[in-house]
Amino acid sequence: MSQTITIDPVTRLEGHGKITIQLNGQGEVEDAHFHVTQVRGFERFCEGRPFYEMPSLMARICGICPVSHLIASAKACEAIMSVRIPHTAAQLRRMMNLAQMVQSHALSFFYLASPDLLLGMDADPKVRNILGLAAAKPELARAGIALRRFGQSIIELLGDKRVHPGWVVPGGVTEPLSTEKRDKILAMIPEAYANIALALGAYKKIADTFKAEIEVFANFPSNYMSLINEDESIEFTDGALRMIDATGSTIEDGITASRYTEVIGEAVEPYSYTKFAYYKPLGYPEGSYRVGPLARLNIVKTMGTRKAEKELAEFKQLAAGLVESSFHYHHARLVEMLYGVERIEEILADSRILDKHVRATAGVNRLEGAGQAEAPRGVLHHHYKVDENGKMTWANLVIATGQNNNAMNLGVFQAAKHYVKNGRFTEGILNRVEAVVRTFDPCLSCSTHAYGQMPLAITLISAEGEVLDRVVRD
Amino acid sequence: MGFDSENAEYMDTVARCLVLACGNTLRSDDAIGPKLAEWAAERFREDSNVRVLTRQQWTPDLAEEIAGAESVLFLDSSVDSAPGRVNLTPVAMSADCFEGATHHVDPPELLGLSRSLYGSLSVHAMLLTVGAGSTELGETFSDPVEAALPRARGVLEKTVLRFLEN
Repeated sequence: MSQTITIDPVTRLEGHGKITIQLNGQGEVEDAHFHVTQVRGFERFCEGRPFYEMPSLMARICGICPVSHLIASAKACEAIMSVRIPHTAAQLRRMMNLAQMVQSHALSFFYLASPDLLLGMDADPKVRNILGLAAAKPELARAGIALRRFGQSIIELLGDKRVHPGWVVPGGVTEPLSTEKRDKILAMIPEAYANIALALGAYKKIADTFKAEIEVFANFPSNYMSLINEDESIEFTDGALRMIDATGSTIEDGITASRYTEVIGEAVEPYSYTKFAYYKPLGYPEGSYRVGPLARLNIVKTMGTRKAEKELAEFKQLAAGLVESSFHYHHARLVEMLYGVERIEEILADSRILDKHVRATAGVNRLEGAGQAEAPRGVLHHHYKVDENGKMTWANLVIATGQNNNAMNLGVFQAAKHYVKNGRFTEGILNRVEAVVRTFDPCLSCSTHAYGQMPLAITLISAEGEVLDRVVRD
Repeated sequence: MGFDSENAEYMDTVARCLVLACGNTLRSDDAIGPKLAEWAAERFREDSNVRVLTRQQWTPDLAEEIAGAESVLFLDSSVDSAPGRVNLTPVAMSADCFEGATHHVDPPELLGLSRSLYGSLSVHAMLLTVGAGSTELGETFSDPVEAALPRARGVLEKTVLRFLEN
């Protein structure tokens, strides 16, 4: 008799999802899926609104990475306006996007992943959270809180709000940076370096103890895609996309926002509200790819900053070729946080950052525009169409989680097949299956965080639909 | 006085009294905490000893803010009280403070987290709640909560002044 194990909802994610594991009559895993069970509808309800409202409206999609949505959306609007924004505005946006990356990665690493990494995959679920981490490793919990504050404070200093700042607008930003604010940000940088060093040191000490997980946490060859600069350095805000295959060879380069839909398609599966992005020339699912920190570090040749460069070299030593296990997303996040702080420091060292000219203006000059930016968890694409009056007639968003969707599903299957034997499982085993999804840090819907502790329900269902067993963690 | 609806000044100043509100301004009576915080910010605008913060949810990050204050007054709506009922209750640090969630923690857990991470224990910690009549989508209060506003403001003011006296 076949059985289905359901993990609903998956905990310590941004948003709501569930996992089902299908067992065959012998109790072996036959199939497994990660389902995104919420629907948002942003692409439809923006229709009819003026295009210049889009950055503020679209940023409401997410409470963790609104800055990336703001930037991708503003760039799509600028394509419609046919304007090039001032250099200082581009640098200020870049800094805000990096600040968001630091705070989001800190949330992912310290709050969501560290309970597994530092307390253990089999630790009591009651303590396997940020509060348990605070009890066991207070110095790391303090570092996580401080790095969140670092990123959020910069976002607030620039945009007046920690979440959903309205400062990024079509044409640039609404307000230049003052000397006082620049100095406040600079003053926070030494503490940020110290906290990242602490986290990197702690992670490297324990990483080897997860050899078994590294082997089966979405550890397979795949394509990768990320933004990259012409000098092959990492890029979060501008540049163009590069796609590499499983051997590391470039299969598509210089993918600008306007070319995106030529090369990227979206497939639909009946079990999830999130689409499955793929590289069109290879088709679906062969053209599936991964995005985010692992993809970025696999693709770039250099970080372009001194400290992160050293860490990149070490990261690339984790495998003979590409670093394939999604477990290493955690390590990649730490390297990127270090890069973010260094790059922010560099940007602030340029006196042009205080320039007062930070916005270009124009009306509707094209009826279609697209923009892209790296969100912490991967590249984000906004594509809009408007009428002659600038009213939105159509929108499509391709988010990072959709681009990682196939890899997350394959990863869940790989881990479930490895750990669930003869139909038997423990809480620790199911936590490992959830932890595969956490490595990607998917953002299913960050703008509406769940209230309170999310329960975990595991249900065993027979082929006839009869509930055989149910375990609830609350 | 430092006030910002999201995050006021940073940890370069220590406030004697932290007013920490929680609520969603788009959910009718759930906005009572932010609304009272807005009033407190104006009332104590000239007083650098009072710091006011508002969040949609109380998250673990706030332990650091609490550690930077001598006393804390939490402001929230309550679905367990009769609509419009104003309650002021002391908050005791949770001894068993490690069963919380990532996205939301309660005042006792926040005090516990502040203690375990920063060695800080607030001199006074109180929770001021107003019973919610409706938490449906909306930007206005129900009649009982609207009627309770003056009393809630009075309790808030007296509590903050008492904190500052001690």
